[in-house]
Amino acid sequence: MKILLVDDEQKFINMLAKRLALRGIEAHVAYTGEDALKKAGDTVYDVAVLDIKMPGISGVQLKKELSPLHPNMQFIFVTGHGGIEKSEDGSSEKDIYLSKPLDIEFLIETIEDLTHTG
Amino acid sequence: MLKVFLEFLKTLWPEFYKHRKNVHLDSFFTFTNYQYLWFMSIFVLALTALSPIGIATLIYYQLIETSVDSDLNHRTKQLTTAAKSAVTFFMEERLNALTFTVNENGYEQLEDNTRLSEILKNLKLGFGGVTDLSVLDAEGNQVAYAGPFNLEGKNYKNQSWFEQSIKKMNYISEVFTGYRDVPHIIIAVRSAKTDGSFFILRATLDTERLMQTLSSYKTGDYADIFLVNHEGVLQTPAMHYGAIFTPTNLIFPTDSDETEVREITIKGKSIISGHSFISRDLTSTPFVLMVLKEKAGMLKFWQDMSFKFNWIMGAIVIVIIIVITFASTFMVNKLYHADKAKAETMMQMEQSQQLASIGQLAAGVAHEINNPLAVINQTAGYMKDLFTYKDQARNDDELAEYIDSILDAVDRCGTITRQLLGFVRQFDVKIKKVNLQKLIFQVLSFHKKEAEYRRIHVTVSIPEPFPELETDSSKLQQVLVNLINNAFQAVQEGSCLDIIATQTNPDAIELVIHDTGCGIPEENLKKIHEPFFSTKKNGSGTGLGLSITYGLVKKLGGRISVQSTEGVGTSFTIILPIKINEGRTA
Repeated sequence: MKILLVDDEQKFINMLAKRLALRGIEAHVAYTGEDALKKAGDTVYDVAVLDIKMPGISGVQLKKELSPLHPNMQFIFVTGHGGIEKSEDGSSEKDIYLSKPLDIEFLIETIEDLTHTG
Repeated sequence: MLKVFLEFLKTLWPEFYKHRKNVHLDSFFTFTNYQYLWFMSIFVLALTALSPIGIATLIYYQLIETSVDSDLNHRTKQLTTAAKSAVTFFMEERLNALTFTVNENGYEQLEDNTRLSEILKNLKLGFGGVTDLSVLDAEGNQVAYAGPFNLEGKNYKNQSWFEQSIKKMNYISEVFTGYRDVPHIIIAVRSAKTDGSFFILRATLDTERLMQTLSSYKTGDYADIFLVNHEGVLQTPAMHYGAIFTPTNLIFPTDSDETEVREITIKGKSIISGHSFISRDLTSTPFVLMVLKEKAGMLKFWQDMSFKFNWIMGAIVIVIIIVITFASTFMVNKLYHADKAKAETMMQMEQSQQLASIGQLAAGVAHEINNPLAVINQTAGYMKDLFTYKDQARNDDELAEYIDSILDAVDRCGTITRQLLGFVRQFDVKIKKVNLQKLIFQVLSFHKKEAEYRRIHVTVSIPEPFPELETDSSKLQQVLVNLINNAFQAVQEGSCLDIIATQTNPDAIELVIHDTGCGIPEENLKKIHEPFFSTKKNGSGTGLGLSITYGLVKKLGGRISVQSTEGVGTSFTIILPIKINEGRTA
């Protein structure tokens, strides 16, 4: 299982990637939306964990661009802006939002739920 | 009774007069000096309304005075001329009769006393007023006499009338008493005898007839009509000067036949005086006819009317001033209320804007904190992972404990920022279903640590099932935050804070927030809901908390009351409708 982590908060996703690796999940990091698109072009990811607020391409925008390329890709949004609730800007209801600070066990559970590997 | 009246007066007393200075609120007022505004409003309105009335009245009076004056002068002149004609005619008639008698009879017949008596009888019949007749020779000796007084043989040579008579063809004397001691006038006619010398026929007129003629022209109590001689000595009695022969200060400038009208002052009274010299074609008389009219008396009708007019004007002016005063008071009061409401609204808006901006700031801060928290979280997590997965310090429980405490702290911070964000977001939410218990716990969560540190025992008692409120959750939240904050500030270490909710009837719930804190002194209880009332020293409080709370509860359609005993504790009781009436939230 391959995960793509996209966030401009570099230390955060680096650490997260390392911890996921320790738990047997291969996670790649991208610090910008452009980088993420490039990485997704090379590799097929099962799940993308996207920060909503990023300079340049936002998380929501990034999802719109990635979904046509990888119809099977699942998305998890991460936000520093409050609790777990639905976004108001038109993205589909299936999207999952997790708030920072993030509990890694909960993240893994969510990923497993999405990929039905649990 | 007096008390009731005073209470009534109090309600009339405009509210802007009771305005108390409030530095925060006053800056939002459009008008600052309502007393001045009120005064100016009355003054300008009164000036505008009353000045035309004043000007019209002045013009009216001036017109009346001018027309009455000229009318009075005109009438006096007419009367004087008419009376003069009558007196002239009176004199002329008798003089002509005498001339006729002399011409018709001649000296020879007139010398005869019997004939003379006959003539006197005829004259009395024809003209009246003739007392006696006498014939005098050139030496002044009375030759013949007819009449009641036996003055036969008297010599008049040295009398002034005789001297005058021989100089002229005919003569009319002043009024005098003479030998007989009765006021009379002498009319004398000179005629030639056949021998070339002359004789004089003299008639005596009593003044009674003349006075009757004069008084027939007298009109009203304020008019007088009389005769004076050229020196101003009264020839007939006069109202203002007294009996006959009284000298007066009336002086006549010219010896003109024309009637003249002047305005003079006698004993402080303004008098219209008309005079005319009485002369005739054949001879001049020593008489001046006087007509005096007391101006005040003649104007009495106009003055009476003016007096009534003044009363009516006065009443109108008073009514206008009362109406203007009431109208101005009413308008300025309304203006004051509107202005005050505006100022209060603006102040509240400013406060809520402040609150909203504080909320936005808090949201930004929370968001900014979450990112570093996430980094700390993952870093600490990774350190722990290193111990767990890589054997590097697998058994170092102490280190693991430290890391756990970091993670725990991050967790707690995360919870707080999430709550804060959730809290702030509710600022824009309007009416929705609210779970009161959840809301109370949400608010209490901010004080969880404080309660633990200070060992404040917080209990929340809400019966199950409890109805969901349909209300403005953000306002309700603010009410709870304010009251719970206050309670936490009031209580000492180890005190109790009880929050009890009950459904009192199908439409309302009651929420009691009771603390065993310091309580509120009785003198402050009445003032706590007033804006800017604060007992906190050094400006640590704005004094707005409770006043905002009172306003918010009112907006939620509820009521709030407070019971407090100093040193024992305070209870705030809020009654809230289960379903808010939306019209009232506006």
